[in-house]
Amino acid sequence: MNELIHVENVTFQYPGAEHPVLKKMNLSVEKGEFLAVIGSNGSGKSTLCKLFNGLIPHFYTGDFEGSVTVNGLNILNSSVADLSCHVGYVFQDFENQLVQARVLEDASFAPLNFGMEDYLQRGRRALELVGLAHLADEFVWQLSGGQKHLLALAGCLAMNPDIIVIDEPTAQLDPYHAKEIYEVLKKLNKQYGKTIISIEHHTEFIAEYCDTVLLLNKGSVIWKRPMRQALSEVDLLTELNIYPPQAAQAASRLGADHVPITLNEAVAFFKEMIPRSTPSVTKPEPVQAQEEPVIRFDQVGFSYKSMNKKQAQVLKNINLSLFKGEQVAIVGNNGAGKSTLLRLITGVKKPESGTLTVRSQSVASCTPEKMADHVAYIYQNPEQMFIDDSVKKDVAFFPKARKIKDYENKIDEILEQFDLVDLQDKDSRLMSGGQQRRASLAIGAAMNPSVILLDEPTASLDMATRKHLTQFILKLKEQIDLVMIATHDMQLVSEWATRVIVLHHGQIIFDGGKEELFSNPALMDKAGLVPPQIVTLSLALNVDPVDYSVDSFINRFKEVPEEWPLQKASQIN
Amino acid sequence: MAAAKSFADKLSFEQIKIELLNTAYGNDRTLIAKLDPRTLFLWYTFFGIAPWFIYSKMILAGMLVFVIGTTIMTKVSRLIIFILIMGLLGESGYLLIASFFFGGNLGIIVPLLTLTMKLSVISLASITAFCSMSPERLGEGLLRIGVPGQVSFSISYGYRMLPTLFEEYNHIFMSYRLRGKSPEKHGLFYFRTVIYFIKLAVKSFYPLLLSMAKRARTTVEALETKGGQYAFRNPAVKKLKLAKLRIGKNDYFFLLISVLYLMSIFISSHYVQF
Repeated sequence: MNELIHVENVTFQYPGAEHPVLKKMNLSVEKGEFLAVIGSNGSGKSTLCKLFNGLIPHFYTGDFEGSVTVNGLNILNSSVADLSCHVGYVFQDFENQLVQARVLEDASFAPLNFGMEDYLQRGRRALELVGLAHLADEFVWQLSGGQKHLLALAGCLAMNPDIIVIDEPTAQLDPYHAKEIYEVLKKLNKQYGKTIISIEHHTEFIAEYCDTVLLLNKGSVIWKRPMRQALSEVDLLTELNIYPPQAAQAASRLGADHVPITLNEAVAFFKEMIPRSTPSVTKPEPVQAQEEPVIRFDQVGFSYKSMNKKQAQVLKNINLSLFKGEQVAIVGNNGAGKSTLLRLITGVKKPESGTLTVRSQSVASCTPEKMADHVAYIYQNPEQMFIDDSVKKDVAFFPKARKIKDYENKIDEILEQFDLVDLQDKDSRLMSGGQQRRASLAIGAAMNPSVILLDEPTASLDMATRKHLTQFILKLKEQIDLVMIATHDMQLVSEWATRVIVLHHGQIIFDGGKEELFSNPALMDKAGLVPPQIVTLSLALNVDPVDYSVDSFINRFKEVPEEWPLQKASQIN
Repeated sequence: MAAAKSFADKLSFEQIKIELLNTAYGNDRTLIAKLDPRTLFLWYTFFGIAPWFIYSKMILAGMLVFVIGTTIMTKVSRLIIFILIMGLLGESGYLLIASFFFGGNLGIIVPLLTLTMKLSVISLASITAFCSMSPERLGEGLLRIGVPGQVSFSISYGYRMLPTLFEEYNHIFMSYRLRGKSPEKHGLFYFRTVIYFIKLAVKSFYPLLLSMAKRARTTVEALETKGGQYAFRNPAVKKLKLAKLRIGKNDYFFLLISVLYLMSIFISSHYVQF
């Protein structure tokens, strides 16, 4: 036993809150563990982790009971600064944790503050560990999101802590960069013996990187288990709004006792039992090319002047015709130009070359206000859409500005539809992430657009909110001509899209159906895309047609029940 | 109108952001930028204050020529110069017009010119001193002359957040535009449109303040974990931070040139009058 963190009977209540966030919590973390902390929103994950560096109870002075020991230090008798020499903390909104202008300055900021003479060497070494050494003299604001996250981590590593806490790394990063950070964490864990505690929603990352899983619910520890055992609890996890890996979901719904977690296991598990006969599948109707596309890009290019006065090309030679009724997903890495493509359609940015028309009207000659009559754009970060002081006022902003008759009734309807009636007088900025997302969609719906553009709508949502959102998106089809979603969420793409456009360094490298895309691993790799597990599984099992959702995968079994040797299959594992 | 429009297009948020950041950090390779902050403080205390007490147009003109020279040496951005000139012209122009209303005549121009020269010397000296120092150097300099660590930290943090602030403001401003309604007609001299934009520009500050306040919460927590408070109390930290500061040959040379130049204009002003 080499216990590093010991939490005993801890109860904590934020000042002014009605209920405690942590209730009689007990926990022990050993040296060298790679622990995932999971639980639905509001279960106390972040609060628990802030105990470890003493932010609670020293910074947030609520009602604290119980005892916490970190690396032999009792947190009650140690300051946040002392504890931070043992615990590094990467916040969820990591950008705000970078306080200096240049990369090296920021990485060596903590050791400098502690008066360590080798602060610059420490900073450099930390940058090397995360692979940012070549950017040491850059300005922080010139880094990409993924690089900023690595820098936040380097800022912690400069103090050489034994424990690293990382709060939802995959919430703000695309899967490619999330993997990059997990690879760094893995190295720190395996080679340098650091203890890693990661708050994580994505069970696929947990399956690949973590050893143990801590499940929280409503401020209590449900259990702490080895990863495999933890992720097999499909029913419990689903009930608490956490996605188990898709293969586990499928196996569990087919009644298996021992569910597969990783792809290889899933292939071995389903290989024997998968029905080969092709059930009748309804392929999505290919949309008829009409005379008039809703949106047309003709040789569109866009660039901007970057800090070093060089012209940075964001989009080049975009040719695209989008028709009524299409469900278009735009995918690609961060920085591939997805958001810029959407923003060009709203008119806030004008194409630098070529022409862009929406309903045969040139966007270049229209103000964004004029474009808003047709196009609604939902920001990636809902907070940037909140310009009034209550949810209701924000939703009503558009119809009110346009003096639309009887808009109040319509607004009430929309608030109802998005489950915002009880929240309507609250300030949108003070709501939870999922609530904010709903409010931002309600704002879009109130604009009654013919084209709706959604920028990363499912980023950092739990299962319940994501379901709600998917319903909304499906409903949109009835009233809206064209829906475009820029996303990293391959599950959303595979379940929803009828047409997928892949952007890579500002150019379209693929435009077509998801079937074609997912069966082209070279292309997926080039664009940094990872297909959902169920798709990879179907491809590995050679089933035809490929299944894009757990539901359709399951249906494959239901249509040929007599050939369904499940009992046998579950014994194989 | 077309010229105004093309100017407005160029003057985007992005552009202003880049100019500001370049002003703060971009010209750290010039000769003046490499001077010790203390040298510049000393230099500035003369050029920033003395003009108020000097009435000789000859000396003022001499000083003006000198600071124009130093300003050119700092390679400051044209936007800053443009704003400065607009400010000076606006100030003197308004005083001139006001004086006519209250019975002044063309004789007012000479004293106004003196005032404008004084203001110009001081402004250009400020630009020379403060635009060539990067925020870090400024902070270090202040720390060295005994200003508390919190102040120098605030300066460098302020600049770190500047781009974020700009981006956030831009997003909010665009949110207004993406849901609002601009006036149907531009009105006389684009009057309605201008009013609309001014309204948006002001309104956008309220959401900005709230969102920045929210961000600041994480920053304060992070500072706590990075030993921010601890550093302000620890003299060893101050010593480490200031280890790089050194007054060298260039500093003495710069001060010497300035003093020699000043002496020469003070002496020559005795012989030449205009």
